[in-house]
Amino acid sequence: MSFAAHSGPSDWTGLPQTAPGFRPSTHKSASSVEKDYFQPRRDHCGHRATRGAWWSRRSKRPFTLLLSCVLLALCVSVPESALGKLIIDLRNPNRGKMPIAIPDFVSGSSGGISGNALADVLRNDLYLSGLFHVVQAPSDNSTPIDRPDFDRWAQAGVHAVVLAHFETRGDQLVLEARLYDVPMRRLEMGKRLTGRVVDHRLMIHRFGERVMEAITGVQGCFSCKIAFAGQTESREIFAMDYDGKNLGQLTRARTIVLSPDWSPDGRSIIFTGYGNGRPDLWSLDVATGRLQVVSSRPGLNASGRYSPRGDAIAVSLTFNGIPKIFLITPHGDIIKRLTDGRGNDISPTWSPDGASIAYVSDQAGSPQIYAIGVQGGEATRLTLDTNYNTDPDWSPQGDTLAFTARMNGRFQICTIRTDGTDFRVLTTQGSNQEPAWSPDGRMIAFSSTRRGRREIFVMDASGEIQVPVSGIAGKAPAWSPRN
Amino acid sequence: MPLRYLTQGLIIALAVAAVVLGGCTRKQVKLPGPGVPGPGLNAPRTSGPLLEQELQTVQANLKPVNFDYDRFTLTPEAQAALQYNAEILKRAPQVAVLIEGHCDERGTDEYNLALGERRARAVADYLTSLGVPNRLSTVSYGSELPLDPGHNEAAWAQNRRAQLRVSQ
Repeated sequence: MSFAAHSGPSDWTGLPQTAPGFRPSTHKSASSVEKDYFQPRRDHCGHRATRGAWWSRRSKRPFTLLLSCVLLALCVSVPESALGKLIIDLRNPNRGKMPIAIPDFVSGSSGGISGNALADVLRNDLYLSGLFHVVQAPSDNSTPIDRPDFDRWAQAGVHAVVLAHFETRGDQLVLEARLYDVPMRRLEMGKRLTGRVVDHRLMIHRFGERVMEAITGVQGCFSCKIAFAGQTESREIFAMDYDGKNLGQLTRARTIVLSPDWSPDGRSIIFTGYGNGRPDLWSLDVATGRLQVVSSRPGLNASGRYSPRGDAIAVSLTFNGIPKIFLITPHGDIIKRLTDGRGNDISPTWSPDGASIAYVSDQAGSPQIYAIGVQGGEATRLTLDTNYNTDPDWSPQGDTLAFTARMNGRFQICTIRTDGTDFRVLTTQGSNQEPAWSPDGRMIAFSSTRRGRREIFVMDASGEIQVPVSGIAGKAPAWSPRN
Repeated sequence: MPLRYLTQGLIIALAVAAVVLGGCTRKQVKLPGPGVPGPGLNAPRTSGPLLEQELQTVQANLKPVNFDYDRFTLTPEAQAALQYNAEILKRAPQVAVLIEGHCDERGTDEYNLALGERRARAVADYLTSLGVPNRLSTVSYGSELPLDPGHNEAAWAQNRRAQLRVSQ
């Protein structure tokens, strides 16, 4: 199979290009280009067939009912799209894992990068999401990726399969990957990605994000990076891919650095650093490495967190007395003081809509998690279980807080709904701190001492899968936006 | 009176010696290890820079201040140690005192920063109430700089502390 043999996207899929929703797009990043050559039809005319607990057809939303009538004619003309799409219903607590096969990517050129290594990137992404059972699949170089052997995959019991072909041309990689719906025997989503060979992991992570979007309705975040405070001899800010690859040191501060937080645009990282002998709030320009002091008020300038829009930073300051949560601009000017009372207030986290902040206060004697509206008002206490609850992190969906609770003398990562119900303990081994939700809410990064030294782990949102990723000692993980 | 001239001459001589011997480089002294006995206080002067050795003497004689777990209130032992330290500092009013607040590892990092700050401030407030004339400032290191890296009760007790560091 040669890419040159294809004159256009419609040749690859054998499906009409006029399908509703077809939308060629070019990714904005300079490092690689991503093109949709096929966008599946939506479930406008979907049957409400169900195929087991996890495998249900998405129920129609009211507005799509209206659309259904409008698009009925189109659906009739393309009968294979008249059935619901492949889906994992994230709202269904009883869903199982979707079995998926990702055979080795098929190479169209000799030598160089291995198809198994490329497939492993995607296998690991989908495994860590906690939503898939990645089935071992033998490689098959004989079947073209546009003509999958559905009988074989159906026999293997998988519900989805990803087939991919790639070619290297000098330092360029051209990757064509397709997600198939096995029971319905049709193409669900396909991408053609071009980029530098050295960026192959990023290209595949991006495809994985689209797989997540196609199947769960929420784009994945496998292209995100995680920054953290190194605990090696040089205590510096480091960053790595979310899966631990491409580790790099970002600062040369030669001092204690704490609590990194990535700006929503990905351009800067704020952290607390002792470069001037005091805990000041610093900002690092990720591209240039330039450091700038954001707040160096007397006392603490600690636990800075960007607002979801990046136009404010919530931070704990003590220049005025005991630690209190303030809102400051990204340049360090005070917008307002948010909390008062006699407690030590620290570790703010923004609700995804930017309207509320949860934080730690010991005003009732022991550290507990409270929430307050950014416009002011009364703080409400959210945690009641255990007597030491810290490090809150508000989930991107807005309905859950992850936090650290002390249990039997150790720390464990827990979650609680924002109404104070549904308390869950996600970790049990070693001491675990500083949970940080991934931008899609599917994963939580945290630090753990379960293997001795403190290092960064990633787990799926249920805590079922927990893997070390940082390679070096570190703490205080913070996710970047998608790359 | 001859005694008065003698005293004045001594002060001038000491001041000159101070400038020659180290008063011109105002670096912060390295701290001796905990529990290292100092050579004892010589008659300290109340103005002008101290000799490097005098500064080290002051530093070495300051007692550590320890705290109960997850608390920043001063225990009777901590108050006694600070009263002792205040007597030393009053006799060297020209030195600046940086009060470091530290915590043990049994707290989470950011909350420990707040706790360390409160410990340092509790010490600063108490020293002020005792009439210490020195310039006081505070810094919290949370649990980032344990004195004893061990993971046991003895190490934790030592690490929950406020440390006074003097400089010119």
